[in-house]
Amino acid sequence: MPQYQTWEEFSRAAEKLCLTDPMKARVVLKYRHSDGSLCIKVTDDLVCLVYRTDQDVKKIEKFHSQLMRLMVAKESRSVAMETD
Amino acid sequence: MVLLESEQFLTELTSLFQKRQLSGSVFITLKKYDGRTKPIPRKSSVEGFEPSDNKCLLRANDGKKKISTVVSSKEVNKFQMAYSNLLRVNMDGLKKRDKKSKSKKSKAVQ
Repeated sequence: MPQYQTWEEFSRAAEKLCLTDPMKARVVLKYRHSDGSLCIKVTDDLVCLVYRTDQDVKKIEKFHSQLMRLMVAKESRSVAMETD
Repeated sequence: MVLLESEQFLTELTSLFQKRQLSGSVFITLKKYDGRTKPIPRKSSVEGFEPSDNKCLLRANDGKKKISTVVSSKEVNKFQMAYSNLLRVNMDGLKKRDKKSKSKKSKAVQ
């Protein structure tokens, strides 16, 4: 269960995982205000990628929205930001 | 598990964050959703089920209360703006970014 130390590596690996099999992959966010910690996990039940932080809310929130858009987009091929 | 409309989901999610400020965690799960409402039986063929490609399922819970909503491509724009704001506002207990870029010195406060 790889824990990533850098955001770059995590986001690349996570996006790849989501694109490989969109129906299997899921994203889990865990936020603890009392500890001031945020943990994001992306898994397809075979591979599990985790990133913990106490700072990068904006990055994680942007990434989360990006993944949401990916899932809702109709084309199932790999989607970069397509122009509408 | 309560299935809500997107707007109501956002309201409930805000209250989850507020309740869990002093202790506890808030979990959010995001997953692609194909619109199925019944389990697909292993052997028999599926009748009249057409998987849709443009929805996702969003769940949230704080250990006790569970809520969920379905977001489709039509609502995603509006929902996402509100949702991003919500996350940014509520996940504010974290540290600010530690390091500024090394090339410029940050302004010294005297």
